[in-house]
Amino acid sequence: MRGPTTVEPVPGRTDELIINMGPQHPATHGVLKVVIGVEGERITRAVPHIGFLHRNHEKIEEARTYPQIITYTDRMDYVSGLQNELPFILAVEDLLGVEVPPRAKLIRTIFFELFRIASHLVWLGTGMLDLGAITPFLYTFRDREMILEITEKTAGARMLPNYFTFGGVRRDVHPDFFKDVAHFLDFFETRLPDYYALVLDSPVFQARAVGVGVLSRERAIARGASGPVIRASGVAYDVRKAEPYDAYPELEFEVPTRPEGDVFARFWVRFKEMEESVKIIRQALEKTPKTGPYKGKVPPRVKPKPGARYRAVEISRGHLGTYVVSDGSERPLRVKHRSPSFANLQLIPDLFVGARFADAIAILSSLDPVFGEVDR
Amino acid sequence: MSRMPLPADRLVQPRLVGYDPTHPRPWLERIAYTLFFSALWVMVILAYGAVPALFRHYGWLSTTAGFLIYAAVEAVLAFLLAAVVALILIVVLRKYLGKVQERVGPMHYGPAGVFQTVFDALKLLGKEDFAPKRVDWLIFRLAPAIVFVSAFLLMVALPVAGGWVMADLNVGLLYIVAVSTLGAYGVVLGGLSQGNKWGLLGGFRAGAQLVSYEVPLALALLSVGVYSGSLRLSDVVEHQYGLWHVVPLFLSFLVYLVASIAELKATPFDLPEAESELVAGYNTEYSGMSFAFFFLAEFVELFLLPGFMVVLFFGGWHGPLFGLEPGSFAAGVLQSLYFLVKVAVWVWIFLWIRATLPRFRDDQLMDLAWKGLLPLALVGLLVAAFLRMFLEVL
Amino acid sequence: MNGLRFRKTAEFDEEVYAVHPEDYRPLLEALKAEGYDYPRSLSGVDMGYGLRVVVHLYGIESGRKATVYTDLPYDAPELESVTDLWPGLEWFEREAYDLFGIRFKGHPDLRRILLEEDWTIHPLLKRYDTGGYPLPDWQPAPWPEPAPWEEPEAAGEGGEA
Repeated sequence: MRGPTTVEPVPGRTDELIINMGPQHPATHGVLKVVIGVEGERITRAVPHIGFLHRNHEKIEEARTYPQIITYTDRMDYVSGLQNELPFILAVEDLLGVEVPPRAKLIRTIFFELFRIASHLVWLGTGMLDLGAITPFLYTFRDREMILEITEKTAGARMLPNYFTFGGVRRDVHPDFFKDVAHFLDFFETRLPDYYALVLDSPVFQARAVGVGVLSRERAIARGASGPVIRASGVAYDVRKAEPYDAYPELEFEVPTRPEGDVFARFWVRFKEMEESVKIIRQALEKTPKTGPYKGKVPPRVKPKPGARYRAVEISRGHLGTYVVSDGSERPLRVKHRSPSFANLQLIPDLFVGARFADAIAILSSLDPVFGEVDR
Repeated sequence: MSRMPLPADRLVQPRLVGYDPTHPRPWLERIAYTLFFSALWVMVILAYGAVPALFRHYGWLSTTAGFLIYAAVEAVLAFLLAAVVALILIVVLRKYLGKVQERVGPMHYGPAGVFQTVFDALKLLGKEDFAPKRVDWLIFRLAPAIVFVSAFLLMVALPVAGGWVMADLNVGLLYIVAVSTLGAYGVVLGGLSQGNKWGLLGGFRAGAQLVSYEVPLALALLSVGVYSGSLRLSDVVEHQYGLWHVVPLFLSFLVYLVASIAELKATPFDLPEAESELVAGYNTEYSGMSFAFFFLAEFVELFLLPGFMVVLFFGGWHGPLFGLEPGSFAAGVLQSLYFLVKVAVWVWIFLWIRATLPRFRDDQLMDLAWKGLLPLALVGLLVAAFLRMFLEVL
Repeated sequence: MNGLRFRKTAEFDEEVYAVHPEDYRPLLEALKAEGYDYPRSLSGVDMGYGLRVVVHLYGIESGRKATVYTDLPYDAPELESVTDLWPGLEWFEREAYDLFGIRFKGHPDLRRILLEEDWTIHPLLKRYDTGGYPLPDWQPAPWPEPAPWEEPEAAGEGGEA
């Protein structure tokens, strides 16, 4: 039952070693399995296998009503849990024709960007752990804890809060929310120089990252890469700019890009994104009224009119799209999640072959896959 | 760092000695560190000073039986010292990494977690020492022994105070090179014999790395020998009265520093056991006490390589004696304290490097050894030779 | 795009093309030439009467969005692959094959991707319940009249929105 590109030993060839990297390998960020052939330390072939975390969300979601589905979408990219709810909600809002009050949009945007910082912090910690540095991992997880506590205060849960809903958010923010977020931003800005010193400015890191795993602009577009991966290849494709949603049209921010397309560029882009997120949250905090409506008028039974809608948002890993097909009943006919890590992982054969084994680890951590999302 | 208040239901159950996370006791850790250091000091005095002095005082060394008993006692003491060093360094490493990483480190077993390693060792002792079916049994079992013995044998040549050395070899520098290279065999054979592809890769990496870094290391030692005019380690230390070797032989010192971190297989150079790349590298299939011996050897080396660095470049046991007669027992005790303090500072720096840096790639590692360190070591040797000529002309 | 059987409408902010399965690939080739260079997604949908393949495209330079869909009968779910136009759709086509059994002719490596190779069913079909068991009294709905790519009055060529 093996397909044509599964890695088999070449008869008579003794200098190539076939290794199963994963699904229990410590650096595969969960359950990726890559069958690689190595010649010494150089990778000759690489075939990724996914699906070890497959739950078939999409089938389960067909059997649930619309409000019930929101909580399943959280479980895709569990590192940036809250962000996953948004494309589904936007698509259903479009089908319902619901108006979202501006304050709710701003609150959503603040949470969206907070989770981007949280997710990039997890990426930074685990990515540096893959490169052999233990300490950033502990630092970043401590910072992320503050974001999770802010979320817990308002939404009641930490990682998978199920907070957004059709027409706005589920409940108003905690009275401390604005103070807490401002405090976190001040604190986080004092920590960023440390991360620059430990990671981007470290000569050992630069030796590992510069010129490694180069992805060309054309290949990135053709492979459907998104998020920091495509922006590190010089394409300023950001869904927040390309098809703005929520409060993004009113906020000013830049899309950091870098033309090199190597591991260093991907790290650099994510660092700059964290800085941009801080800027966005600061603007949004200023614009958000302290009190006001947090949810628009939504019919008590969510029954969108028949039709289909594809909405995309820019989550931490890139372009997350949700395609909702409604047949007019309480349950969707089909919900398709287009996850960024799924598309980005297609780059593995492109980037791995010809790299050294240690580079493969760096490349994988720069792609930053989350397997809840890849396997859904 | 601001301390996060813990809700009552998340309180950790105290073990052995009550630990209350809401009341941190930093003084307890300071006492623990002091006790660790004192224990190490006492062990060093016993192994290097007191027991040889006792045997010499009663003249037991002249008889064959007396010498054999002396050798046996010294071997046991050296082993105990190695065990104490490893036990202490492991918990110090974990505590220190905890400090760097804004957490508390081990804290449940004993006051401030000081007995953590004891319990770790007991756990490893209680585990089945499992050998997979496809291993080459003899080599698989021999490899941890080779690794540990090569680290352990280095202890013999370490001069901790004036006249305090187990064997004052007249080829001490060569002995260091020879014995520490032996450890590479253990690592490579251990990696190759276990029938595991990660172990195989780890063994290859270890072989390449250890052999490559032996060369600049040996050249750095050689330049010390050339400059001081003797291969005997106690002569090298005596030669540093007035000026420590780190000043004239700064290049060789740098080479020794980098090469010894590489020999330790510590963080910027921990490729043979890079856990994110090779799962566990050369000790993937080892468990129980076999694994513990690899671990033990690593931490004994973490003590010995800074130890030799202090001997070769930082004046060994030199320090103010406050009127004590050099060569007396009291002077030896004080000198061994100076030596241990210097070693502790260097161990701390090694741990600091380990906590900070990411890992090199294998080809960069080789580049650094052959294109960076080797020329530097040769220049260092040249400098040492010129300085020696210059001194002799004077 | 002349001579192709498709119907073009505008929904929300994107152009939606309903296309006859035989003209699926020629239409996508034409769209690729128009500048839709970024593949957003490819989904299979079980419509109850047949299977639908939906391709979402985006032009990086133009910022335009397009959706192309085509309906296939249950008994012959075959379609031409477009992975050579957008290599990024390779895994999406494998996923559609895995979950719906849609076979893409010309795909370089059409294996199951999320499920094991020896899995026997295609779980997202409406014939199966969430446990993966066949529903005993499930019957496909009748094919809609007219077919989605035909205008109600006459088979159109590039009809207006």
